[in-house]
Order: sequence, then structure tokens, then C-alpha cells
Amino acid sequence: MKHEAVFFTAEEILKRGKAGIPDELLSGKNLVYSSPATLAYNSPGAEGFGVKRAGLSVPESVMLIVAPGCCGRNTSLISSMPEYKNRFFYLEMSEPDLVTGRHLNKIPDAIKEVLAFLKDTGKKVPKVVMICITCVDALLGTDMDRVCRKAEDALTGGEFEGVKVRPCYMYALTREGRRPPMVHVRQTIYSLLEPMEKDARSVNIIGGFAPLENTELITYLKLAGIRNIRQISTCKTFEEFLEMASANFNIVIDPEARAAAEDMNKNLNIPYIELTRVYSTDKISSQYKALASVAGIDINDSEEKAEADEAVAKLKNAYPDLTFNIGECTNANAFELALSLVRMGFKVDEIYATLAPENFVYVKNMALLSPDTKIYCNMEPTMLYYKISSSKAQVTVGKDAKFYCPDIPNIAWNQDTRPFGYQGVRDLMNKVFEALKEAEA
Amino acid sequence: MKGLRKVLTPFAPDQSGASGVLYSMGALIVIIDAGGCTGNVCGFDEPRWHETRSAVFSAGLRDMDAILGRDELLASKIKSACERIDTAFVAVVGTPVPATIGTDYKALKRLIENKIDIPVVPVISNGMKLYNEGEKEAYKALIDEFAEDAPFVIKDQIVLGMTPLTYGKDHIDITLDDIKNIRGAKKLIAASSSGIDACEYLGQDFEIVSLIYKNNIPEGITGKTLVCHDEVVGKTLRDAGVDCDIATFFKLHDSVRQDGDKKITEEDEFIAMVRDGGYDTIAADICLKDLVPGYKGNWVDLKCFAISGRT
Repeated sequence: MKHEAVFFTAEEILKRGKAGIPDELLSGKNLVYSSPATLAYNSPGAEGFGVKRAGLSVPESVMLIVAPGCCGRNTSLISSMPEYKNRFFYLEMSEPDLVTGRHLNKIPDAIKEVLAFLKDTGKKVPKVVMICITCVDALLGTDMDRVCRKAEDALTGGEFEGVKVRPCYMYALTREGRRPPMVHVRQTIYSLLEPMEKDARSVNIIGGFAPLENTELITYLKLAGIRNIRQISTCKTFEEFLEMASANFNIVIDPEARAAAEDMNKNLNIPYIELTRVYSTDKISSQYKALASVAGIDINDSEEKAEADEAVAKLKNAYPDLTFNIGECTNANAFELALSLVRMGFKVDEIYATLAPENFVYVKNMALLSPDTKIYCNMEPTMLYYKISSSKAQVTVGKDAKFYCPDIPNIAWNQDTRPFGYQGVRDLMNKVFEALKEAEA
Repeated sequence: MKGLRKVLTPFAPDQSGASGVLYSMGALIVIIDAGGCTGNVCGFDEPRWHETRSAVFSAGLRDMDAILGRDELLASKIKSACERIDTAFVAVVGTPVPATIGTDYKALKRLIENKIDIPVVPVISNGMKLYNEGEKEAYKALIDEFAEDAPFVIKDQIVLGMTPLTYGKDHIDITLDDIKNIRGAKKLIAASSSGIDACEYLGQDFEIVSLIYKNNIPEGITGKTLVCHDEVVGKTLRDAGVDCDIATFFKLHDSVRQDGDKKITEEDEFIAMVRDGGYDTIAADICLKDLVPGYKGNWVDLKCFAISGRT
């Protein structure tokens, strides 16, 4: 037995072609290794903005997790964060519930008890109760929309009339299906919006659950006369959130929000434009040109582009032969980031990421510029044997990359707030520069 | 309402208990889930995961795998992993998914063993029971598979149930060698509820004691005390002279139970015990204090990882 982690070079993958991506790099073909990236990726509730935190991004909401105890266990990590105190509640399923489905009948009373508890203990009564259900109900085929409607009806005529009840599906089983949990939860959230009069100078940025970092996108929109730029994370109240329905158009910054944007287009008559987070300044520039054209606004990005290019040049001048290892537990598409870095003139030794077929295009281009870049799959069982000694990198990006390369300077780059556009490139380059200088010191 | 938690988060489930027992045994551990349960185990309930890598894998089930009962696919994935990873045996650990689809663990064992030439140990857990039940099932499955009737190696002492979920960083791991030779051990110690179950299953004499609290009464415990932890922790403190009642969210064996002791399940039961018991001291994980904010007595923080996740 080799006791080595399996990898393929970019050149090897290109030779095999898109249809021949090795099983070792694909999801669903093997047992799944428990690396930091797969723990976050596999579990829709585990880390970052999984279904649980995402559901609670609706202002003035609480969540009732109706599931076996195991599904809510790690929520104590989140519950300890001040913004989630008194916002998670649990209705634990028992073995008889599994057989009889009686847990569903208990939901209306459980909601009433939670609301009464909050009121009696002097807490604010929420406007929305999110019901989070898990794999068991996926398999039982529970009609959760109906259960939620019934729960809302049960509040009618009582002191909590008007509180909305919505489902959140934490179905890890469906994560590669047509509507994975993180797609569905976004649809649920924005389904709370109701039609209202349009404001030509209002725009929503949807996709994230924490605000965008100090990106130039906001500045461009303001300069173009957009008065209200709304993100769910900046809405303080439920009423403020409801005003997102007045937007003239949506800017979608995460493909997982595309289905929600489609719904909003259909139900609220809000069209959308999709922008992708990339680390190539030329592509960022092209995207802004497209946005300007579609939205009928002027965008002059020369200053910000120059700043980002300068940050790249500064790092390149200081470390001309800098070699990276890139993980997928980061605010980037690992393959796109790796290709952008190679195009900037840096080297990428290793990538730790699952190679979905839609990312083949990046590997294909990478193979031409950096054929020896090694691609590992975070999920693959032999990652158990990954050895740091084989890597030539001087810096790593991504929380998972730190796990594999603990002795190399690391930029986790997985903060809740999302980097975007030139700001993302500039700040990443500066962070890498600082980390390397700190390591030298 | 029964089953409703308004203050506490759920306690460590049986699959975490099972994985915790298996973690140090050199097994290839396969949690039969879609990924979330493994995330809970490795990312939360297994403090050793951050220090030492162990071969804990998710089966990576998808909806159609579960609906169609694709055990053959699971067996093939395990075979593929065994060809590339050194392991003494394969353990398959249940979750709510196999519980829902009614997986036949005996059949699954046979199916996998037909593909590989190492033992397969199925542990029946379903995510709805508590960690001590999972630990018990893991011990039983290991004993059934590996314990030799007449071992050559005589161990002086084997401690069962001293797992991280009960004792945090003070845990004592057992090895596959310990299990193989367990019937020949000169002394068996049950350090927690699951240890009692395992020892009873073996049918041998054993001592019920927590090695951490034996003759070691935590500072601050005075007067009439309510100990809320694993039953063996409570018994050990009582044996050391503490005037206490035991409350436990886990299991309370008849061999431990005395008047005033109670197995509790709901938050309200703990609240009622504190309200009505007239205790000078509560010795329990500090997170339980949120249940009784009005309690004015003495509180000694007796950490319990299975309750709070604190080591």
C-alpha cells in the first residue's frame, strides 16, 4: 500500500478530457474524507452560512429545528454567537416519530410554546419562525409547505397571529440535486417578500448572508444614482427586509441565489443580473462593462483596476517566484483563483478541491500555463495520507489548505463578509504580502 | 412539551458515542450518512479529530442511494477505500438515514465482507438516542466480533466508558488489543454508564468508579448537592462522601440508583429537581445554569462534553 494521497496534474486531467475526469476527483464516487472543507461542504448546517444561519438571516426570525437530536448537535457552536442567542429551538424526533410522523402534528403547539416562552421571558416576539427539517423528512416525503401553512393557521385568532412560518430544508442528501439546500433556503427567504410599488432607484444585491466588503460595486451603483442598495444582512428589521420587494433589479453575486432571483422575477417582477466573483482584473472589468450596459449606467473602473493591478505588481516584485497552494474552503472558486494567480505570473503547486465538470475549463487553461500543478480532491479517502513535506509552496490560501500545510503562512480568506471585484483582488494580494512579511520577521 | 428544547442544545447522539469508542482502534469508520452526521462527529463531537487524524469517512449518500437502498454501491466504495488505506477492520455506524430506510446491518456486514478480507463491525445507531447508547452498542459489537474466549495476553486492568464525550481531555482510549483480551483482564472498571453496560454484557465482575473523581471531590461542593452528569460520576462523588442526589440525562442503572436519584429527559425535569430539592450545591455543566437563572445556591462547574461540547 502506497500511503500517499492521490493527485492528478493539470496536464493529466486535460489529456483525459472533461468526460474523463478521474473518479478520485469527483464527488459521489468514493467515501468522503473528513477534511475541514468536506465537513463544511457536506454538512449544510456545520460551518459558515449553512442552512441554519442562512435561515436566520431574515431579520426578527427564530428557528425551530424539528429533527433527530444529532442534526442540531453542532448548533451550540452557532448558538454561542451573540446574534443567535435565543433564536434556536429544537423539537427532537424520537424513534416512534419516525414511524408515525407524529412530530409534524406537534409543530403548531411547539411554535406557540416557543413564542410564549420568548414573550414571558421578556424577549422580542419574532415575525418569522423558520422550521428546519433534515434528511429524515426528506425520505419520509414530508410536505413541509403544508405543515407550515397549518402552523400559521393555528396562530390565527391568538396573540401571535401574523407570525409567518416557513420551511428550511437541511437535506444533506440532496446537496447535488436540482435544488440543493443552499439554493432552496434562498428561495424560502425571498419568498417572504410581497409585491410592492417599484422604486427605480433601488437595487438588491442577493446571494450573500453577510454584507459585501467595502467593494467598489456599491460605489459604482451610488454614483449611478441608485439610492437604496439593499442586502439582507444590512436590513435591521423585518419591515426593512420587506422593502427589498421594491427593487428595480437584483444583482446576483452567488449562483446559488439564481433560483431565488428567478422566483423574484416571476412573482415580484424584479429582473436580475448575475455577477461572478473572479480574481482576474480583466474579467472583473468585462463584468462591470456588461453591468453598465444592461443597467444603463456609467461605470468608470480605471482607478480601482489600477489599484488592484498595483497590489498584484507589489507582491510580484517582492516575491517574483511565489508559489501558492489553494484550497476550496475560501471566498473563491479554487480553480479560477489558481488560474488567475498563474496568469498574474505566480506559481500554483497544489489545489485541494473537488473538480466539478463546470470547472474543467479552468484546469484546461491551467494545463497550458502550469501543467505540473497538482490537483487533489478534499473528499478523497487517501487525503488521510497527505504529507506536507511534498509541497513547494511558500503561502497557502483557504482554511483547508492550512489543515494540509500547517507550517506555511496561510490566508484563510473564508470570512463571512464577501470580498468582491477589484477589492477582492487588492485585499487578497495585500494579505498575502503581509503574511509573508510577517513570516520573514 | 415533551421533546421541545427552549434553552439547551441537543446532547451528543449515539452515533457520536459509537464513533468515539471506535476512534482509537485503527478502524476505517464509515458513518452511513449524507455528510452532515460526519460533520457533527468530526467537526464537533470528536475533540481528538483536531489532534490526530483517524480514518473517519462519510458514506456520502445521496437521496437516490437511500431511496433505492444502494448497499452494493456503499460496499464498493468501502472496498475501494480498503484497497488504499491500511485498516484493521471496517466499522459502519448508523444514522437517521439507515434508520429511516430500515437498513439490515447484518446483511450489510455480509455484503461488505464478501468484497474485502477484513472484519466488518456494524454499530446500530440512529441519531435519536444519546451518546451512551451508541458507546454501548459499539462495545457490544466489538466484543461480539473480537473478544477472545481464552486470551493469551493477561491485562491487569481495562477501563471501559472513559471516553471524551464523558470526560473530555481526561479520556482513556482502549485499543483493539484490549478488546481482544478483555475476557482475561484481571480487573474491569466501568467509568461511565456505557462502561456498566459493556461490563454487564461481558458478564464478568467489575468495579463502578470514575477514575477522575475517585477520592477527588471538586472544590466548592458543600452541603446537600445535586450532581447532574454521568451516573458514575455521581456515584463516585457519593462514595467519596458527598451528600448528593444524582440527576442524569443519560442512563441510570439500578446498581447505581438510590432514593432521590432521577433519570431526566426534559429541561423542565431538571428545573423541577433544582426548584424542589433544596440543594446547597449544584455540580453540573455550567451551561445548565441557563435553565435555572433564579437558583441562588452554589454552582460547581462539572464539565460534560456530551452536554455542552466543552473539553
